[in-house]
Amino acid sequence: MPDTNPAPALMAKDLVFAYPRRAPLLDLPELRLMPGHTLFLYGPSGCGKSTLLNLLAGTLQPQAGHILLAGHELTSARSWQRDRLRGDCLGFLFQQFNLLPFLSVLDNVMLPCRFAPGRRQRAVQHHGSVRAAALALLAHLGLDGSDLPRRRAGQLSVGQQQRVAAARALIGQPAVVLADEPTSALDADTQARFLQLLFDECRANGSALLFVSHDQRLADAFDEVRDLREWNRATPKVAA
Amino acid sequence: MNAPGRPKRESSLGEEVAKRLEGSPSGAPGRPKRESSPGEEVAKRLEGSPSGAPGRPKRESSPGEEVAKRLEGSPSGAPGRPKRESSPGEEVAKRLEGGSISALWRIALASLWSRRFTVGLTVLTILLSVTLFLGVDRIREEARTAFLRSASGVDLVVGARAHPVQLLLYTVFGLGEATQNVSWDAYQVAGTQPGVAWTVPISLGDSHQGFRVIGTTDAFFEHVQVAGAPITLAEGTAFDHVYDAVLGADVARRLGYAVGESIVLAHGTARRNPQQHDDQPFVVRGVLAPTGSPIDQAVYVSLEGIEAIHLNWRGGTRVGKIPALDTLPPEALQPRSITAFYVGLESRLGVFAFQRWIQQYRGEPLSAILPGVALQQLWSLLGTAETALDVTTSAVVLTGLIGLLAVLLATLDERRREMAVLRAVGAGPRHIFTLLLAEALWLGVLGTLLGYALLQGLCLAVAPWLQAHYGLILQPGWPGGGEWARMGLVVAATGVVGLLPALLAYRHSVADGVKIRY
Repeated sequence: MPDTNPAPALMAKDLVFAYPRRAPLLDLPELRLMPGHTLFLYGPSGCGKSTLLNLLAGTLQPQAGHILLAGHELTSARSWQRDRLRGDCLGFLFQQFNLLPFLSVLDNVMLPCRFAPGRRQRAVQHHGSVRAAALALLAHLGLDGSDLPRRRAGQLSVGQQQRVAAARALIGQPAVVLADEPTSALDADTQARFLQLLFDECRANGSALLFVSHDQRLADAFDEVRDLREWNRATPKVAA
Repeated sequence: MNAPGRPKRESSLGEEVAKRLEGSPSGAPGRPKRESSPGEEVAKRLEGSPSGAPGRPKRESSPGEEVAKRLEGSPSGAPGRPKRESSPGEEVAKRLEGGSISALWRIALASLWSRRFTVGLTVLTILLSVTLFLGVDRIREEARTAFLRSASGVDLVVGARAHPVQLLLYTVFGLGEATQNVSWDAYQVAGTQPGVAWTVPISLGDSHQGFRVIGTTDAFFEHVQVAGAPITLAEGTAFDHVYDAVLGADVARRLGYAVGESIVLAHGTARRNPQQHDDQPFVVRGVLAPTGSPIDQAVYVSLEGIEAIHLNWRGGTRVGKIPALDTLPPEALQPRSITAFYVGLESRLGVFAFQRWIQQYRGEPLSAILPGVALQQLWSLLGTAETALDVTTSAVVLTGLIGLLAVLLATLDERRREMAVLRAVGAGPRHIFTLLLAEALWLGVLGTLLGYALLQGLCLAVAPWLQAHYGLILQPGWPGGGEWARMGLVVAATGVVGLLPALLAYRHSVADGVKIRY
């Protein structure tokens, strides 16, 4: 490996994972995601996508191999350390139900900073306070209506909720934004705009983007495209 | 090299060790670190660990584990760095950890607020059960003090030989009947014993409109006390004439009598009594101030009056007329016996000597009881009933807690998404555990405080009524020791009940990780 390159935002090497008494589900040689880069990971359902996400999140441990998040070894850390690394280095963006509906929009965006001191610190460094960071992100994402940050997240439209979720994923500049089908609940128009916003903000943030989807039409815009089935040396029988 | 064994989730210690023995990290390039990132300590250690540099000072736990890992295989040779034992970064991390806990309490509160209607009903059940739980206890305590209050100032009660509780009940509390009387002679002799300061005769057996009539002397109003305070007259005077009566406050209030009223006594204590002493009415001379004790519920007449109206009674029926008082010799109105008498001593130290004298009195079998001691005996007799009451109120609290458990469990499944979101932003399973426990505790604390507030409100609202009818003085105030203990018990019990959903949520969050179930 060329030593001149900066450290990857996310690196996974020789990951092997199997559920108890099953054949290996995942056997992934290498994944390297440089800061600011975007990767489209194509994965139809049942190919171990959410398992991979849990591995990268440190909520599931592989039998072999390791994962480095912004240079921090995830796989050998203790569970609480993995929780903290996840909070500090990863921003998550799911298909739906990203938000705690009973909290305000602003509280939802600030949520990672309550659990991840690193992100809190970076947010404060760049914006003066976590609140200011959240408001700035919301403004970038077109959510700066006067009362919107104070509204309950559950009252927003799906499109708005996804943008709030993007703001939450981006606050405190995590090394990597992990997006799991974040656009599939949106209509085609909104999809394109949302994707563009996400790209812009990731770039501005310096965060790498790992975008997992079964919708290959979106793949064109990314720096790199991978098919999970080709990357995976294990051949799971598609069942789940 | 690693045959896939079982998946690693939140690693237990054993898993941790197993994993480190199994596979070793290979050649991760080190890179310069930011200062004081929370993951720093971890990261530094981890970063160093791929290198096989031996003999690095290691952190606190499981040295064997570390050694094993290093021996097992560490390909590349980045030199290890010595570790600081505790970095400022760790300090910051600890502080922020506290921050995440307070965040959890607030998240719990917001979550509960969003479900305020179901949650409100749960709080209501807890609140009511706490009110009952504390209220029953408070009434019991108050009843005890009220009973003790009633007999204050009286050192001993003397009557025909009987169980102390029985003697106490029919004299002080007007409950039940005496089986035997005390002869006038015995009463006279007892009054002259050394150390005796005063005696008050009590003669029972008649009634008025269901209220007991107590034949006594002016000494009653002089010596008997309630809660350490002497009895006072609200209106009129004490006895002046043979056919004078003084009313307890309740009697005057309920029957609407005032001074000057003429009343007829009934022979015997039955409520509907055909045998009336209507040939000789009494005149109300005074009304006592309310005391909140059984004293309020009796009609007091002079001992001579009682004697006089029974002059023309033989074997339970009226025969002829009462002779005019001025035709009678004074000794004709002197009773031959009384029901009991109260004794006041010059010194409390004389109590046992006097009691012994009474027990050994040869003229007739007598008992002398200490009111406080007899009350204790009464409480121990009632112990079973009290236990039953305690069990009942505890069961009500338990019902409230089961309701709470049901509400927490019912929403648990649909809240798995929330848990996944929290995991994604960096919460660990223990945070999820804390969140659920915090919710249960919020409800427990809220229900308990509101229950206490309701009890206070009720006390304020019904206090006058309770005092008027039962002589119970319920005063709102800060909880006493027993009440703190009971409230603490309820909150602790909510905590215990909250453990179940908390544990389930913990397990869910370990199983789900950051995966949101759609």
